[in-house]
Amino acid sequence: MQLNVEIKRYNPDEDEEPHWESYEVPAEPLDSALSLLLHVKWHEDGTLSFRKSCAHGICGSDAMQINGENKLACSVLVQDLVGEDAEDGSTITFEPLPSAPVIKDLIIDQSRFFEKYRDVKPWLITDGPAPEREREQSPEEHAMIEDATKCIMCGACTHACPSTWADPDYLGPAAMLKAYRYTFDTRDDGAEERLDVVDSPDGLWKCYTIFNCNEACPKDIDITRWLSALKRRAATSQASTNA
Amino acid sequence: MAASTSNALNWFLHRITGTFLIFMLITHFWVQHYDHQAASVTHEVVTEQGAMPDYPEEAKEGVRARFGPDAEATPYQVVMQRLADPVYAVLWKGFNILFLIVALHHGFYGLNNVMTDYIRDPMGRLIARSLSWTVALGLLIIGMYSVITAGW
Repeated sequence: MQLNVEIKRYNPDEDEEPHWESYEVPAEPLDSALSLLLHVKWHEDGTLSFRKSCAHGICGSDAMQINGENKLACSVLVQDLVGEDAEDGSTITFEPLPSAPVIKDLIIDQSRFFEKYRDVKPWLITDGPAPEREREQSPEEHAMIEDATKCIMCGACTHACPSTWADPDYLGPAAMLKAYRYTFDTRDDGAEERLDVVDSPDGLWKCYTIFNCNEACPKDIDITRWLSALKRRAATSQASTNA
Repeated sequence: MAASTSNALNWFLHRITGTFLIFMLITHFWVQHYDHQAASVTHEVVTEQGAMPDYPEEAKEGVRARFGPDAEATPYQVVMQRLADPVYAVLWKGFNILFLIVALHHGFYGLNNVMTDYIRDPMGRLIARSLSWTVALGLLIIGMYSVITAGW
């Protein structure tokens, strides 16, 4: 099939505002959306800029808005976007993730996203000396955080969240999911430090359980559920502090 | 983090008040706007009056002309009588005061969230929060005064 691929282009050296450009791209139903962009870059316009690395849904670098929804370009197929029997001329649109400064074309500035990530101290915090062998954790204990460990930090969730759109300082689901992942890790002793960060005016309480993050997550992580668990932990921690 | 900057308690209360509101709103609409005859039985009605007070016929005709031949209205007198009743008034005044507190907290916490989504300056947030909770307190006082004095 012959697709009409529309890409929101922006070159800060030449453009005052982003604008749409259209390309005719040959495609098969089982092609990935990323392959459409690669075709444009290799055969139509080499100046098109976008991030991609592994192209297998692991590195999380090619998160973007495709047909109006945040997705990983490498993990979504053409047939899922236009249907198996799409006619020639069917349109697929590509835009950068919303609510982030655009560096060029589909590349956003991720500085703020990773600042928030660092804010929640996404590493193991322990008291006392390291054990002789590894820090042990039972399968049952690991099951608590298993889903959250699948996060690849692509940013699809945070940039799909209306709270992020309204308040760019909001920590966002990705960072807070990471806070959940370590706070509920039985080997970790830094829960209070992290709860101090997420229990802030731009933190946990600005999650209004809208579920956009769940919908956007390419790894199908039940983010809203884990953030709700983190809220309950923060609330009980706050209650015991005040008691 | 200091307790004063945490919204944990407000978040928790928001969940509680939301749950309460489901049942209180249903009760309120049933009693106040739908089946006022059955739900508004008062001590006086049972023992002395034998019938519920009603709107004047002209007023009911006006309502029927606007909303159809079967339209009914909750008469102001019924509400007042319910709130003046020596036996049931405590129940309904208590219900209305709780309803008022629950609705105000739920609504104004939501309003605070919306405002602080868009006001990111800490001083601006403090002013917005202070103003909105002051308005809530004002409405609480007016509401409680109205409920407590109604019918008495």
